Amino acid sequence: MTVEHETRDGRFTLTQSQRERIARFVRKFRNNTKAMVGLSLVVLLVLVAIFAPLIAPYNYEETNIQVRSQAPSAAHLFGTDDLGRDIFSRVVMGSRISLYVGFGAISGAIVIGAIIGVVAGYSGGLTDEILMRVMDAAMAFPPVLLALTLLVVLGPELSNVVIALAFVYTPYIARVSRSAALAERNEAYVEAAVARGESDTRIIFSEVFPNTMAPMLVQGSLNVSFAILAEASLSFLGLGAQPPKPSWGLMINTGRGFMETAPWMLLFPALAIGIAVVGFNMLGDGLRDVLDPKVEAIE
Amino acid sequence: MYNYVLRRVGFMAVTLFFVTLIAFAVTNILPGDVALLILGPNATEKSLAALQTQLGLNRPLYVQYVDWVIGLLQGHMGESLRFGEPVAGLIAERLPRSLMLAFAATIVAVVLSVPLGVYAAINQNEAPDVTASMFAFVGISMPIFLWGLVFILVFAVWLNLFPTGGYVSPSEDLVGSLTRLVLPAGAMGFALTAYIMRMTRSSMLEVLSEEYINLARAKGMSQRVIVLRHALKNAIIPVITVIAFQFSYAFGGVVVLEEVFFWPGIGRLTLTAIQSRDIPLIQGCIIVVALIYMFSNFAADMLYAYFDPRIRYGGNE
Repeated sequence: MTVEHETRDGRFTLTQSQRERIARFVRKFRNNTKAMVGLSLVVLLVLVAIFAPLIAPYNYEETNIQVRSQAPSAAHLFGTDDLGRDIFSRVVMGSRISLYVGFGAISGAIVIGAIIGVVAGYSGGLTDEILMRVMDAAMAFPPVLLALTLLVVLGPELSNVVIALAFVYTPYIARVSRSAALAERNEAYVEAAVARGESDTRIIFSEVFPNTMAPMLVQGSLNVSFAILAEASLSFLGLGAQPPKPSWGLMINTGRGFMETAPWMLLFPALAIGIAVVGFNMLGDGLRDVLDPKVEAIE
Repeated sequence: MYNYVLRRVGFMAVTLFFVTLIAFAVTNILPGDVALLILGPNATEKSLAALQTQLGLNRPLYVQYVDWVIGLLQGHMGESLRFGEPVAGLIAERLPRSLMLAFAATIVAVVLSVPLGVYAAINQNEAPDVTASMFAFVGISMPIFLWGLVFILVFAVWLNLFPTGGYVSPSEDLVGSLTRLVLPAGAMGFALTAYIMRMTRSSMLEVLSEEYINLARAKGMSQRVIVLRHALKNAIIPVITVIAFQFSYAFGGVVVLEEVFFWPGIGRLTLTAIQSRDIPLIQGCIIVVALIYMFSNFAADMLYAYFDPRIRYGGNE
C-alpha cells in the first residue's frame, strides 16, 4: 500500500488522488504553450524586479544634462530622457512599481473579494442579494474612472493606487468566487459537514473556500494585467505615481512631449507594459484552459 | 423572457441606488469644504458660514443626498464651481462627442474583427488563423491610451497623414471632423478587436461543423456562398452581444483616450473636474458615465438573453 493518509501528528501528507491531480495539472500546464510562455514572461519580470538594482547600469534618478535626449547607444541601451537619465535603468526599476501595484492590488482584491463571494454564495438569500447588488454598483463604473475618483479622495500616491485598484477589482473576484461557492454548496462533502454539525463559518473557510481557489487563480492572474494597465493609465493622467518615480505610465506621459525628437522615451516603457500585460494575460488564459475542461472543448 | 427582463430592471433600480450612493459618498468625503473652495483661503468665517447656509452644506448629509437625487431626477446637477455654468449643460455639450468616439471605435473594431474572425475560422489552425490571433492579441496587450500615442507617432508625426488631435464639429466641417476622428477611433477599435474576433472565430467554427453546412457542401455550393450566406448569418448572433459589451468598454475607455487626443468629451471634462476639485461637476460626470456604462451593459445582457433560448423560454435564470 502506497496510499498515505493525513497523519495524526499534524504532518501534512498528500493522498494518492491529490498527488495524481497535481501531477495531471503540471502535465497539462507544461503542454499548454500559452501557459508556459506566460509563466516564462512573468518569471522573467519578477526576476528583473528582484535584481533591478544589480541590472540597472545607472542610478535611475541621476540626471546628466550632458547626455540629454540621446538615442539608444552602447552606453545607454534604451537612450536617455530629457534630463539625461538612463531609460534602461528606469524601465528596469519601473518593473518594481508595476509588480507592486499589480500583485498588491490583486492580493487585496482576492482577500476581500473571496470572502464576500464565498459568504454570498454559501449563504444565499438576502445576504447574497445585498452583497451582490453592492458589487454590481461598483462594477457599474468604468474601472479607471472609479479608481480616479477614489484617488481624488485618497490623494495621488502609489500606495493609494494599490488601495483604489484593490477596491475596483474586488467585485470581479467576488463574482467569480460566488459562483464557485454556489456550485460547491450542493456538493456531498458540504452536506456531510452540515450533517456533522459543523458551524457555517467553519464550513465556509475550511471546506468551501479551498475548492473555489482554482477559478480565483485564473481571474486573479488576468486581473493583475488589468491592474498593471490601470496603474500605467493613472500615472499617465498624473494621479498615480509621482515624479521622479520611474513608473512606466509616468515615463510615457513625459515622453509624449518629446515624441518627434526622442520617440525612444515613449517606446521602451510602452514595450515593457506590453510584455507585462501579455505575460499575465497568457498565464491567465493558459491556466483557464488547464483548469477548466469546458473552455478547451469550445475553443 | 418578460420575467427575466422585469427582474433585471428591478436589479438595475437597486444598483442605480447604490451608484448614486457611491458617487455622493465619494465626493462628500473629499478633503476641503465646497464653500472654502469657492471663496478661496482668504474668506472670512462669516462669509463662509453664509455661503454654507446658502448652499445647504450645513444640513445633515442624508438631507443633502435626498435633495441631490431629487435634483438629478429633474435634470438639475447643480452649478460647476470652475465654469460657473450648470453642470447639466456642460455635460450635454460634451457627451455626444464621447458617444461619437465610442461608436466610431466600435465600428472600426467590427470592420476589422468580423472578417478576420471568419477568415481565421475557415483556415483553422493554419497560418492565417495564427496570424489573425496574433494581430488581435497584440491589440489587447497594450493600454488604449498607449495605442493612441503609437498611432499619433506613426500616422501623424512620421507619416503626417492625420492631425495629432483636437475636435471639430461635424456640422461645421465634416471632412475635418472625420480626419480627427480616424486616429482615436482607430486606436480604440484596434484594442477592441481581439474579443470580437475570438468570438466570431469560435462561433463560426461551431456553425461550420453543423449538419446543414455539410449538406450545402454536398449540394455543391461554393465555399463563398456557404460561408457568407449560410454560416455567418447564424454565427453572428453571439458576436452581436459581444459587440454590445465592447461598446460599453469603449465608452469606459474614453476617459483616458480623450486626454491623449485632446478630444473635448466627457472624459476630459471629468479630468478637469477632478483636477480643479469641482465637486458638483465630478458628481455629475461620474453619474452620467456610470449610467451610460450601465445601460449599455444592460442592453448587451438583454440581447444575450434574447438570443439565448434557455433564457428566452425558461422564464428565469
